[in-house]
Parts: sequence; C-alpha cells; structure tokens
Amino acid sequence: MGLSPVISASSSTSAPDTRGADLHAGYSGSSDSHRLDPSPLRVSLTDVQKTFDVGRGRTVQALVDIDLDIAEGEFVALIGPSGCGKSTVLRLLAGLDTTSSGEVELFGSPPEELSRQHRLGVAFQEHALLPWASVSSNISLPYKVAGRSVDKNRVAELIKLVGLTGFEKALPKQLSGGMRQRVAIARALVLNPSLLLLDEPFGALDAVTRRRMNSELARIWSEERLTTLLVTHDVDEALILADRVVVMSGRPGKIHHVEKVDLPRPRDTSVTRTPAFHELVDKLTGMLDGAGEDS
Amino acid sequence: MSAPTIPGTPAPHTATGGSRTHAGTTSGRVRSTLIWVGTNVLHLWPLALVVLVWDLWIVLNNYTALVAARPWDAFADILTHPGEYLYDTWFTMMMSVGGLLLGTVVGSLCAILVWWSAALSGIVTPAALIMRSVPISALIPIIARIFGYESDSTVFVCIVIICFFPSFVFVLSGLVSIPAAGRDLFTVLGAGKAQVLMRLGLLHSVPNLMISVRITAPIAVMAAILAEYLIGNHGLGEMFSYARSYQQWDRAWGTAVIATVLSVAIFLSARWCERKVTDRVT
Repeated sequence: MGLSPVISASSSTSAPDTRGADLHAGYSGSSDSHRLDPSPLRVSLTDVQKTFDVGRGRTVQALVDIDLDIAEGEFVALIGPSGCGKSTVLRLLAGLDTTSSGEVELFGSPPEELSRQHRLGVAFQEHALLPWASVSSNISLPYKVAGRSVDKNRVAELIKLVGLTGFEKALPKQLSGGMRQRVAIARALVLNPSLLLLDEPFGALDAVTRRRMNSELARIWSEERLTTLLVTHDVDEALILADRVVVMSGRPGKIHHVEKVDLPRPRDTSVTRTPAFHELVDKLTGMLDGAGEDS
Repeated sequence: MSAPTIPGTPAPHTATGGSRTHAGTTSGRVRSTLIWVGTNVLHLWPLALVVLVWDLWIVLNNYTALVAARPWDAFADILTHPGEYLYDTWFTMMMSVGGLLLGTVVGSLCAILVWWSAALSGIVTPAALIMRSVPISALIPIIARIFGYESDSTVFVCIVIICFFPSFVFVLSGLVSIPAAGRDLFTVLGAGKAQVLMRLGLLHSVPNLMISVRITAPIAVMAAILAEYLIGNHGLGEMFSYARSYQQWDRAWGTAVIATVLSVAIFLSARWCERKVTDRVT
C-alpha cells in the first residue's frame, strides 16, 4: 500500500521539535512545512479547537490548534497524560463529537460520511461486545448493520488472525479480558475499514497480557496495513506499534511533539531491548512527565 | 499462543470419564435439584406462617365453621372436590398469564414509542401515568361499561391495564440506559435508530423486562381475581363470590388457598424465566 510521500504534524506550541527538520527526516517535505501535500488519501485535523460546555455558562477548552495528518497505511500513536484530550481527538475522527472550530477530514470526507459508508473500524477500552451474541456473531455485527450478507470466510479468517479458533460460539462472558479485546479488534477489522481507531484497547489488561496483545496487534497490522490511530498512555506500546508517536500535553490539549519511529519491524524483544528503544522510551516519558506537570 | 479455557464449556478433545463420570454427573444433578427444591421450599415459609396464623385466629377466637373455615377444612374441600376447582383455576391462570403477556407487550411498545420520539413521549407518558394513578377498582365500572358487564373481555382488559405499567417503566429504563460504549459503536458502524433499537436496545432491555414480568406476575393474578369477583362469570374470583354468597366457607377459603398457590406458582415461574433469560443475555 503506497504511503503518501509527505507526512507531518504540528501544533501551535513553539516547541522546536514539533517543527524541526528531524521530525520530518526521511520525508520530502521542507522543515517549515507542517502539512501534507494536498491529497485526498489521508486523515487530517486542521486547526481543530474543541470546547466543552460544563454548565452554568462555563466552558472548558479541551483542544487547541490541533493540526495532524495521517497518511494512508500509516500507524500513528497518540500519547499524553490523562485528560489531555487524546480520546477527544479520536472521538472527533470517529464522528462521535464535533469540533468547535477547525476541520476534520477522512480521505476527503467528513467522519460521518465514512461511518455511513461503513468504512470506520473502532475498538474502545470498553470492548462493547454484545453479551448475548457469540464471538462469530459479534465479529459479524458490522456486516449486519451495513445490511450486507455476512462473509463467513472473512469472519473465520479474522477469528484465526486474532487467535480465537475454537471459540467461535463462545459468549463474551466466557472469555478472558484479552480475548474479548481481540474479538473487539476483529470486529473493527471485519469490513476492511479505511481507518482503524483504537482507544486504549488494552488499557484494562494486566502488563503480561497487554504485552502479548501488543505483539498480536503488530502482527495483525502488518498483515492488514490499515491506516490506524492508537490512543494510549503507554509509551512502550506506542513505540512497539507506531510509525509516528504524537505526544500531547494538557490542558488545553495540544500537540507537544511528534516522534518518527525508525525502529525495524517486527519490534519484538530483540528491538525493545536495544538502547535505541530505551532512549526513545526515556525521551517520550520525559516529555510526558513535562506535559503532565504543564497540565 | 495458549488458548484459555472457557469456564463451563467442555474442552473439545477432553476424553470422557466413562460411567463414573456419568454417574457423578447424574448424582450432581440430583443433588443440585434437591438443593434447588429445598431452597425454594424454605423460601415459602411465609405461606406456612399464614396458615398457622389463620388457624390460631380461628382457635383463639373460638370461631365456628359458620364464621370461617379452618385451614384443614379448606384443604379437605380441595382434595375431595378437585374437579370443582379445576376449571376456574385454569380460567384464572389463563386470564392472568394472557393479561400479563399482553400487558407486557403493550407496556414495552409504549416504552419504545417514548424512547423513539419526544413528541410521542408527550402523548404516551401522561396517559400511562393517568392509567397508573387511577385505582383499578375505580376503572372497572368504566371498562365494564365499554366492554360489557359479566364479560370475560372486561376482566382481561383490567389485567392488561394493571400489568402494562411496570413493563413500560422497566423497558423504558433499559432503553435509556444503553451503555455509552455500545451507542458509540453503533454510531461508528453507521447504524440508524431502528438498528440501535433492534440490535442493541431491545436485547439490552430484556433483563429489565424480565424483572417487570416477575414483579407483575402475582399482581396479574390479584387483578384477575378482583375483576372476576366484581364482574366475572368464571374464575376463582367468581367462585369465591359464589361460595361466600351461599356461606360455603370451606369452598370460599379453599378458593383463597388455590388463588394463593396459583399466585406463588406464577411468581416462581416468572422468577425462573427471569433467571434463565437474564443469564442468556448478560
């Protein structure tokens, strides 16, 4: 799948590394360019502001000056301290919220249009599986909602992909937390979405299961190569999975830094034990600490 | 990757344990059945207390059989004349269960209308509240005027009116409490309101619906007997009224015993259904 030649992200903050040439290393854009070349094949947030009304005439500024482009086939991770607006960004992309100002475009259309075309895949921290439906039925749900006949081969292929062969008829309550999340991810993938949005899908899992799920998601992504945005607060997870890591600071939420991850794939223990990986972890963790203190 | 086991689900390749396993399973089932029966019988202690208080009330007041029947006399009448009770018990049971089911359907439909549209909510909700606020004994003459005195339809309509409100409230509560994650998921999947209702809302509301059925079941029997007593041609209520008129106290109190047993049986059946259904959909 062809990547768009230029990828960039920026914020209104004056942090030098959000606009520096190192951010765009390997890309053809100039260091002072903060946007992709015009192309419909991308996901973009342009000068997005989001304000929430909290009652009695008071408002909270959740996001300011968010500019972010994601190229087709790219995996971007969004990290930041709690309450910095990561999930708000994802909800804007999913069409679950609207911007106060600015523009959100998914491949040239507004998010609602992509939903209507059944081209969005989402997995939330809460798996949102239908408790009365089996694994197969849950994964088939997007077909039914879209009014299409269920492609049983595709469902079987995804069940195999997420390692749940033999559990096709199991109900969600009969599965472990990790297995439920894998079902949710398979459901998000089943219609070959143009954009996959993952909102801390492994947030409720223990460290060991989470690590295993990360490597499984990396494997699945390498096979499907979907344009993906992952919201997480786990730096390791972001670095294992993403092509770029966007660091947000709060409040109000803004893009603080964008890190291009040049580590080779697959990023198994041979990569995660390298000094380069640890340097990146330390660097981004330090930024998160700073962002947390700022907020 | 290791495949975690599903609790309560046999592993596909597990060898069976032969006759010992089978015997163990059977004895386990018998034991669990006995525990279930024992537990439910123990739960019936209030009925035993009622019988005891009933007998004490008669004995301590020195009431004769012309005033009230003792429990044993009522039981004896039931055991010696079961045929006299059979039809009316069957009639009251069918009216109660039918009214309960139709009332539940009507209440659920009203809840769906209210959930679907604010405009319909403005019409349906006040009507439902008025129906609930007026005592059924005050409504019966009006219903009888419409559907006819001494009509089984009138009895049935009374039961439906009594039964519809709990299901209306409970189903509506289920529909408005659809989890945010589920709602978000359906929005992202591009589902319309009808899809949200059919694929998420209704099934999410099933546990609430079953709670309403459980709490309404004994009330349905009470409504049936009251309506039969006041305007009915058949059923335990009419039987009680007839026996009382002719001072057949054994029969009258026997009718009350049967009505109590019927009410408890319908309640226990509804509770069993609630557990089974809720376990399946949650």
